[in-house]
Amino acid sequence: MELFTPDFGLIFWMFLSFAVLFFVLAKWGWPVILKGIDQRAELIDKGVEYAQNAKEQLDHAREEAEKYIAEARRQQADMLREADKMKTQIIEDAREAAQKEAQKVMDAAKQSIEQARKEAEQNFRDEVSSFALDIAGKVVRTQLADEKAQKQLVNTLLDEIENKN
Amino acid sequence: MALITPNTVYASSEGGEEDLAIKEIIFHHLGDGYGWEVPFSHHHRIPLPIIVKDCNGEWHCFSSARVSHGETYEGFYIAGHDSEYSGKVVSKDASGKEYRPTDFSITKNVLALLISMIVVMACVLSVARWHRRNGAKAPRKGLGAIEALITFIYDGVIKSTLKDKAPRFAPYLMTAFFFIFVMNLLGLIVIFPGGANLTGNIAVTLVLAVLTFLMTNIFGTKHYWKDIFWPDVPLWLKFPIPIMPVIEIFGMFTKPAALTVRLFANMMGGHMIVIVLTMLIFIFAPMGAAVTGATTVVSVLFSIFMLLIDVLVSFIQAYVFTMLSTIFISLAQENPHHEEHK
Repeated sequence: MELFTPDFGLIFWMFLSFAVLFFVLAKWGWPVILKGIDQRAELIDKGVEYAQNAKEQLDHAREEAEKYIAEARRQQADMLREADKMKTQIIEDAREAAQKEAQKVMDAAKQSIEQARKEAEQNFRDEVSSFALDIAGKVVRTQLADEKAQKQLVNTLLDEIENKN
Repeated sequence: MALITPNTVYASSEGGEEDLAIKEIIFHHLGDGYGWEVPFSHHHRIPLPIIVKDCNGEWHCFSSARVSHGETYEGFYIAGHDSEYSGKVVSKDASGKEYRPTDFSITKNVLALLISMIVVMACVLSVARWHRRNGAKAPRKGLGAIEALITFIYDGVIKSTLKDKAPRFAPYLMTAFFFIFVMNLLGLIVIFPGGANLTGNIAVTLVLAVLTFLMTNIFGTKHYWKDIFWPDVPLWLKFPIPIMPVIEIFGMFTKPAALTVRLFANMMGGHMIVIVLTMLIFIFAPMGAAVTGATTVVSVLFSIFMLLIDVLVSFIQAYVFTMLSTIFISLAQENPHHEEHK
């Protein structure tokens, strides 16, 4: 039957047209399309990866920002504490310095008072000695006769002066 | 395919040969022809070129219109029903004996083949052009649909089976798929550019199967040939009587044979059912208007249903052919197992 016996002419044309189709498509069709599809798939993959990275970075950035804020707060607190400490320190220092200065002034005053006292003592001594000499001169002038009485008188006088002081 | 006018059936039924006429009409529409039927006229056909080489080695080329109504042109005529070469162009040699010349005519099937080729080429090249022009952008609408089909076959069938060898065999397998698919679909269109029962012709499927056979065996690995001639079976199965090699070699040829017959039988069956359903109307015609009317409604509904199923079958058969070809090729690409595990 015709249906089951392949016709040579049709086999020939079929082979020819398939060959032509194959060579045309293998040269200008399939490689271009498959390469295009591959490239597109790669592009999409890259896009997805990029988006994922971006999202990750965004999440990371938020976290980082929070970290920075916390850090800043901590630093602020530290600074305030330090400032407070510094304030007390300064006040303490100032007080100390003032005390020292006052002490110094007081010491100087004490010294000058002492010196004045010593000077006064010296002056007094000088004066006393001059009085004594005056008295002695007087005594000498009045009681030249009794040497023993003279000495006793001098001593008595001196004791008296000393006691007065 | 179903361009049957009532005249043809009644013309022959008057002669009391109704059965024969119906059978003839069915096989006429399933077979090849030297002209292409046009709607609403059984007399007129689109003339196609006849190219034949006679017994003296001379080439003749003329229009099929010159012989389509029983005329003889340059000694060639179309053989009648009683002839061995019924329906083919024949001639008589010097002794008056009828013979069939070497026939390279552009018949209905050949023209349908060329049309299919151009359709496939246009579809695929337009997608390729899009890719060349638009880079990584995805095509839309029609081109997108073609590309989706390409990806479906390439990723789903070829790449998943052949793995890294896919790019090497993809051009053949994709070409085969799209060619078969377009031929199948064009065969379902009833008027001119379609209607030829192309993939339901054993010559067409035979060529396709032989091509797969060649692809399988030409690119087969050493391991594939070793498995055929010296398979891993007990010695007594291959020596001194080579039972397994004989079975294996037999298997080499049954694969393309199965491919040929599967596609051929499926497509021819689809065409045949639709024609038979249409013919039912004319078979029941003598039984009166009511019966004819009812048969017409049922037949047309069933025909539409069958044609829709044939659209599905067109795709499935193209898919199956491609898938089996891929599997046969991949089986011949096997390497020894210890290499696979590396």
